[in-house]
Amino acid sequence: MRVLALIALACGAAVPVAQAQVSPALDAGISYVRYDGFLPSGAVSLAPSVRWDHPRGRAFASARGTYLRFESGNRSLDFSTRGSWFAPLARRWRGELGLGFGASDYASIAHFSHGIVDARVHLTDRDRGGWVSTSVGRSSFGAGPRPVAVLAMGVWLLGPAVTMYASLDRSFVGDTAYSDVRSSARLQRSGITLEGTLGARMLSNGAGRGIYGEGSAMVALGRTTALILAGGRYPTDVITGSIAGRYLSVGFRIGGGALSIRRPAPVAQPSARPHSSSGADGSALRAETRLEITLGERPDDAVRLTLFAPGASAVEISGDFTDWQPVELRRSTTNRDAWQGTFRIARGIHRINVRRDGGAWMAPAGTIRSADDFDGEVGVFLLP
Amino acid sequence: MMITALLLIVQVAAQDPRLERLDPATRSLVVSVVDSAKAVGLPGEPLIQRALEGATKGALGPRIVTAVRRLATDLGTARAALGAGVTTPELEAGAAALRAGAGPDVLTHLRDARRPPLTMALAVLADLVASGVPADSASAVVLALAPSARDADLVEFRRAVERDISLGAPPGAAAAVRAANTGIRLGADAGNPPRPASRQ
Repeated sequence: MRVLALIALACGAAVPVAQAQVSPALDAGISYVRYDGFLPSGAVSLAPSVRWDHPRGRAFASARGTYLRFESGNRSLDFSTRGSWFAPLARRWRGELGLGFGASDYASIAHFSHGIVDARVHLTDRDRGGWVSTSVGRSSFGAGPRPVAVLAMGVWLLGPAVTMYASLDRSFVGDTAYSDVRSSARLQRSGITLEGTLGARMLSNGAGRGIYGEGSAMVALGRTTALILAGGRYPTDVITGSIAGRYLSVGFRIGGGALSIRRPAPVAQPSARPHSSSGADGSALRAETRLEITLGERPDDAVRLTLFAPGASAVEISGDFTDWQPVELRRSTTNRDAWQGTFRIARGIHRINVRRDGGAWMAPAGTIRSADDFDGEVGVFLLP
Repeated sequence: MMITALLLIVQVAAQDPRLERLDPATRSLVVSVVDSAKAVGLPGEPLIQRALEGATKGALGPRIVTAVRRLATDLGTARAALGAGVTTPELEAGAAALRAGAGPDVLTHLRDARRPPLTMALAVLADLVASGVPADSASAVVLALAPSARDADLVEFRRAVERDISLGAPPGAAAAVRAANTGIRLGADAGNPPRPASRQ
């Protein structure tokens, strides 16, 4: 899943940078694991993580820890961190410099650690791209450090709903050498993210061979929670010290940066007729609470705001056009989910919040959701 | 004593009654920021609205004052970049673009490239960046569209990019693809290009 997670990140599946520069998350779940050469075992896991993104997308850093407790009572601890810095664009080319470090411990018996520096060059052309990279570093098992070198290349293709990815790499860790060919696909639709990887290990000396594949489904349950189902077979990673195995897991993810779901919000562009704002942002409540703006025929006519809020018994709005005084909307006589009000709103950019049943103020779908200056969010819309 | 009381009455009378929702200490500081802004020709209304937003959201006084000051600074920077003749909506949109991550030079180039009003172009720029499109890519595409695109074209472009992003496209790539569809070549910044997945 680490592979898929990184692909997801690479394809821009993380939370929008400008909104959440720091994205913490917590995964908790149960797994059925069968490492190659070992008896199968149940396990519970807890995995906190945090990711930081440069506001302009020039760098990121992430860290993740995993606590795994097996049926036997033994436990495994794992920690890894990674960061990358991206050079400014030079036509279609872009450079990346990365640094990674990790360590793991199993039942105080086996200890691994590694540190890697890598340099990468990306070439991007419209909806497709590729990269080549080289990595060097050290990997240690107990007290025996071994040199690491990796040569890799890959390509990706971006479709309307699917991102596809393929890579080829050759790794050298001490006297162990192996190659991997991988292909991945990621499909995201309506709060559900499906990912799959198929790969083959070959030309291996000391790292095993064969076909492997993993799949996962992530279903958004709310704004910051998701249900994750995953399973498959993965190969030995000689650098990090993970042993090949099969697994099936179910877990929950809590955290803003974890859902791999974009905020929605087609731009709230008023039109002569109400239009539908589609898209899902991972927030069920926000997605359900959708703003539509209807302009009058003449520029000086009042503007009608309609909030669709299924299940709400009261809906209020507050914005710069109400001097930030809460105003309760009227329920529509023709649609019980719709709440309406008319306002005098000048042309230009405006900020708005809504709340349902006296709850927290939030930015409704159909607006541009932005961080406000008060640890909350605000919806922004433009009245042309 | 009487003079002080009279001065206080004059000050209270001069300040916006909407600010009475703030506590006296916060109100005094906000009024000071608003007055300073007006003195240099910046609009006071956006600053008052930001203070009222904080009050409605239950923010503490220092937080409100900080937000108002920050907005005043952004408005000042936007005006310096856009020129003295800029309207209040343009200033607000410019401040939003700056806050999102666009540089003042981009605002200046936009002013030179497009006939007023610039509100829509600035708002689209701010929104693209807020959506995760790298600021340099967002600036490039808006500047490329600016000379000839109508406001409606800009909005449609923005909507198309947002739709692609909501389907999982990297924001930079989405902007590049949509720009290419309009005949603009951005240098194709994909924003967060893929990295080798095996070395996390």
